[in-house]
Amino acid sequence: MAAVIDTRSAGRRRMTSLLGKPWSGVAVLLVFYIGLILVFSVLSPFFLSVRNMLSIGSNVAFVGLMAATGTPLIIAGGLDLSVAAIAGLTGVVISILHGGGLNIWVAVIGSLVVAALIGIVNGLFTTRLRLNPLIVTLGMMSIVSGLSLVMTGGLTRPMMFPGFNVIGQGRLAGIPIPLILMVLTFVALWIVLTRTRFGRFVYASGGNAEAARLIGIPVERTIIVLYVLSALSGAVAGIVLAAMLGAAAPNAASQYLLTVIAAIILGGTSLNGGRGSVWGTLLAILILGTLNNGLTLLNVSSFWQDVTRGVVLMLAVSLDQIRSRALGD
Amino acid sequence: MNASNPPRLLMQGIGKAFGGVPVLSDVQFSVEAGEVVALLGSNGAGKSTLMKILTGLYTRDAGTIAIDGKPVSFASPGEAIAVGVRLLPQEISVMPDMTVAENIFVGDLPMKKSFGFRSVDDDRMRVRSRELLDQLGFGSIDPNTLMKHLSVAEQRIVEIARALAGQARILIMDEPTAALTEQEAQLIFKIIRRLKAQSVSVVYISHYLSEVFDISDSIVVLRDGRNAGTFATAATSQADVLSAMLGNTVGDLYSAGDASKVGAEILSVENLGVPGKLEAIGFSVRAGEILGVFGLVGSGIEVLGRALYGALGQLKSGTVRLGGQSYRPSSPRSGKLAGIGFVAAERKKEGIIADLTVRENMALTFQERYERGLFVSQAAESENAIKWIEALGIRTRGPEQKLRTLSGGNQQKVCIARWLVEGVQLLILEEPTRGVDVGARKEIYGKLRELADRGFAVLVLSSDVEEVAGIGDRTLVLDRGRVVGRFDAGATPAALMAATSDDPAFSDA
Repeated sequence: MAAVIDTRSAGRRRMTSLLGKPWSGVAVLLVFYIGLILVFSVLSPFFLSVRNMLSIGSNVAFVGLMAATGTPLIIAGGLDLSVAAIAGLTGVVISILHGGGLNIWVAVIGSLVVAALIGIVNGLFTTRLRLNPLIVTLGMMSIVSGLSLVMTGGLTRPMMFPGFNVIGQGRLAGIPIPLILMVLTFVALWIVLTRTRFGRFVYASGGNAEAARLIGIPVERTIIVLYVLSALSGAVAGIVLAAMLGAAAPNAASQYLLTVIAAIILGGTSLNGGRGSVWGTLLAILILGTLNNGLTLLNVSSFWQDVTRGVVLMLAVSLDQIRSRALGD
Repeated sequence: MNASNPPRLLMQGIGKAFGGVPVLSDVQFSVEAGEVVALLGSNGAGKSTLMKILTGLYTRDAGTIAIDGKPVSFASPGEAIAVGVRLLPQEISVMPDMTVAENIFVGDLPMKKSFGFRSVDDDRMRVRSRELLDQLGFGSIDPNTLMKHLSVAEQRIVEIARALAGQARILIMDEPTAALTEQEAQLIFKIIRRLKAQSVSVVYISHYLSEVFDISDSIVVLRDGRNAGTFATAATSQADVLSAMLGNTVGDLYSAGDASKVGAEILSVENLGVPGKLEAIGFSVRAGEILGVFGLVGSGIEVLGRALYGALGQLKSGTVRLGGQSYRPSSPRSGKLAGIGFVAAERKKEGIIADLTVRENMALTFQERYERGLFVSQAAESENAIKWIEALGIRTRGPEQKLRTLSGGNQQKVCIARWLVEGVQLLILEEPTRGVDVGARKEIYGKLRELADRGFAVLVLSSDVEEVAGIGDRTLVLDRGRVVGRFDAGATPAALMAATSDDPAFSDA
């Protein structure tokens, strides 16, 4: 009897010590991703083709852009629920500015400015007024998506401008441009997070804001900048989406918010801040995209796909909790 | 009292160890009915562990506890409360948005049945609250008032009423006057005398010796987890109690300063004030010397370092000169740029970034110095980390170890190493060895001395009297926001403690 208990506790200890390793999160995701690819390759003859892989890539690009920038924000202790709504607003703003006689690229720049301003407001409310980011950005989400509907009367506006649509539909050396944009964003953020002063400030602000403040780190400024970046990534995602669809639909992006947050958490970024990496988020995005794609190929209804995504998210969060405990929080 | 009556509380041979380290060994503690016993001892002496065992928060490893002659054993605070052992913690814990009556009865709400449903009996609760407050002599507090509208002292009184609501037989008061003015403290004393008359036993924990002599019948002193003396208050003196508390075993932890290494004045402070916290503080620190500032909780030591460093924002009043230049603290950044390093008291909350490595933690303070072009040079960071790991004797597997996995003492050394760069002239350390084991304490003291010898001016603020007496070349004593003692040569712990206890407000009372 005693021996049984001993092996169980030893096994558990080995398990938690393994989960406590800093790389364990990303390693687990990688194994899961490879497993997923193997399973779908066996089940569907169409799955493992360059064509299909690139199609997954361009389908996730738009969500990936938002998740990439959301990652450092959550590491720093923030959260942006308004990002998908900003994506929706962006298409609308471009369409309206262009309709008002502006050049399409000037309109694009205008939409980026609008997004940056929204990010600044999010940042100021959460830092200066010390409001909970969940509440602030939830409010902002409602405001932004409401405004999108007001400005369009709830209608979808066509956006067929060959030069503009290339952003969503074009390819460079055979690779979809949205995918290239996403990969560039991930690489840039990886460099910023691991190799620059700003990156250190991000981890320090989220890891222990009070300690960071006491050694003279500009915690508030760091977080405001991250909210602006997050809003801008929402805008870029909105541009990609509008260019891809050839239309600005005010609420086209809102449904992806959950996927964005799910990917960041699934990727191992701690909701408590201070911990996480963009590679984890990238893998999580690929996993969620692959799951979607594979299940579609297998003719599983999209309703079931929502269920699957929810289950994966909850498993991931549980794993994160076990990991935190293993690390001695 | 009849000699055959068993005492209200009798704790015998109490032992407790954490992780193999004994914190209490063979401790005896007894309290008669209606007696006020003061429990004294410096930080880490075992007072709070003993009281946590009594209130069921910890279980004892050895010994027996008897209340009114009946052996007891508490597995949880609830069981202790059930037999009338109540603790009044140092921090006031009330629910500000509930009424006085609700606060008093929150643990055991009186219920009634109306229309077949159980609901709170508000009327009975109000009546009982009024009775309890009357019994304490504070019928003036209205049970219907919201708690947040009361003063701190009144909130304390309601807390006491809450403890009494459960028919307390033994009331443990941990520093009950820490946040109160002298007049307010007198109210608490008045209550204690009433409780005595009602034959409630009181265990009184306080650092203020004059308070203790004012209110207690006997005094029990702990030192290093053992009994160090039991005194009848009327028949002893403050000096006897102090020497029992402090012992004579401190000397070898500290290395003495070298007067020849003391150089130019680095910091001079005149008339510094922080509204409600500090008043008319003046002192100076020279290069090569360690100035120790001793004060108890609430004396202002938790504010002084921060005010100088800029962590409290713009300094409200006073003039500060740093390295011969006028300096006006306004933010941590201002202090940092002026050449001040600051190590905060609460290491976990305010010091370490647990998920970053030793290397990253050390570079964070002056990150820009480790940049080559746009990017941080990890090689430069590693070089710095390795240098200080060796120089400060930090026990770690290497610069890449996460800070969370280091011991408290080694984390503290990392927090100190952050400031050891060119341009920093003054190190301010709050409670530098809080939560650090004795071996590591000795090392930290040694390293602070080395840093002073290298030319840093060092300011240590601590509520550990032995620490300040041991490490300070000169010492200041703060009490209630003022400097109440200055010692230009080595001071003994007893002298420092006596300086706070000499507070006239208490001796007069």
